[in-house]
Amino acid sequence: MSFSRYSFWEVVKHAFSKEVWDTIWPAVWDTLYMVALSAVITLVLGVLLGIGLSVISKEGVKPMPILSGTSGTIVNCLRSLPQMIMIIVTLPLARMILGQSYGVNACIIALAASCIPMYARLVQGAFVEIPKGKIEAAKAMGSSSATIVFRVMLPEAIPSIIRGFTVALIGIISMTALAGSFGAGGIGDIAVRFGFNRFYHDMLIASVLVLIIMVEIVQIAGDLISNLILRRRHLI
Amino acid sequence: MSGYIRIEGLHKTFRIKKEKNEVLKGIDLSIEKGDIFGIVGFSGAGKSTLVRCINRLEEPDSGKVWIGDTEITALKKTQLNERRKKIGMIFQQFNLFDSKTVFQNIAYPLKLVKTPKKQIEQKVDKLLELVGLSDKKNAYPGSLSGGQKQRVGIARALANDPDILLSDEATSALDPVSTLSILDLLAKINAELGVTIIMITHELEAAKRICSKVAVLEDGSITECGNTRDIFLDPQSSTGRIFLEVYKEFRDESQFTGGGGI
Repeated sequence: MSFSRYSFWEVVKHAFSKEVWDTIWPAVWDTLYMVALSAVITLVLGVLLGIGLSVISKEGVKPMPILSGTSGTIVNCLRSLPQMIMIIVTLPLARMILGQSYGVNACIIALAASCIPMYARLVQGAFVEIPKGKIEAAKAMGSSSATIVFRVMLPEAIPSIIRGFTVALIGIISMTALAGSFGAGGIGDIAVRFGFNRFYHDMLIASVLVLIIMVEIVQIAGDLISNLILRRRHLI
Repeated sequence: MSGYIRIEGLHKTFRIKKEKNEVLKGIDLSIEKGDIFGIVGFSGAGKSTLVRCINRLEEPDSGKVWIGDTEITALKKTQLNERRKKIGMIFQQFNLFDSKTVFQNIAYPLKLVKTPKKQIEQKVDKLLELVGLSDKKNAYPGSLSGGQKQRVGIARALANDPDILLSDEATSALDPVSTLSILDLLAKINAELGVTIIMITHELEAAKRICSKVAVLEDGSITECGNTRDIFLDPQSSTGRIFLEVYKEFRDESQFTGGGGI
């Protein structure tokens, strides 16, 4: 249904019809699959990379200037690519690894390459925010560097790390929508193929709705969890 | 020199870009076992840097620090970490771990030396009793007052039975009542456990209340050092005199307003 042929309300009403959602639901599952898988990869590798970056930085627990400079530059290079370019750049890589450059799994490589560096920077930021005195106290008690990182810095930074993860997750959702137009399927694919190419505006409305709800859930859940932790620690 | 803690010719210069700031200009100091040794001076005199050189949170440029027969400044990193476990330290900003409960904070240094769980439980209970916070065992530091936080800090610093306690302006962020109670607690720890305490402070009242010996630090050098009583009665250095004058003025004034009623 297009706005040019039907009235606004008719299109909106049809956006909630069974006909539309029979097409939307499978796409929602595709999107959720992509988001979930990239989210796990981003979380694990992003936290590790973030920890690494902050540990070897100049003010870190174990400064390594050369390695820090090199890895910082690589992260910045990856981050400077717009997500669309990143998808195009990683397509040959996907073909090499998976044997095909389309489909859900192919786009996860692009998602990871784009979101891991972004989340790593957020994790690094969370670590920098820890008051220096706490790390000094841990040092004064004779803690090794690894103990400081995993027993002091990580627990102290958890609320910020969770907050950063909601930002990263929303970034992932928006990028999966974009990846849809590069053969990844999912909600973005529906929005482009039906909503844009064929003027099915009811489908477009439904797709937008799905994305808004996803982002909203992520944001609310992220705020809730990090606030729960902060409240438990009597910090808010 | 014969003290338990000996500092010889300690120099430290901070370099920020091209600007050099010589904070410690050849410090010699000897501290006896079991003393409460005060290091007083104005802000920027180098007190903090000096005390942080003792456990090498700050690396001195030259000079030696000895504790007993161990030359701290010659230790390798792992050896230093081992020795640090027996040097307690408390801070102006308490530096408790917000992510851990009071119990977990005090248990942290015990876990570092792989103490069995049961013993940790017993030890923490004992320490909490010592600092008078048994009812706050499962509270988070965020819910405690400044004085209570410092008590947790002290309990944590004492967990591994250190022979030395370094106090870096431990009472400077506290109100007068908490300050006195923390000072009394430090005196009690010194008397009961025999821990040597090195405390730096800019509050003369604090030094006068519990220190047996005092060194006055002025612009990176020690201008005088001796029994607290002698220095308070007859200060020789300019910092000592200014300090005492300000202190007396403050006391006179507070007596004036205090007794001034209608």
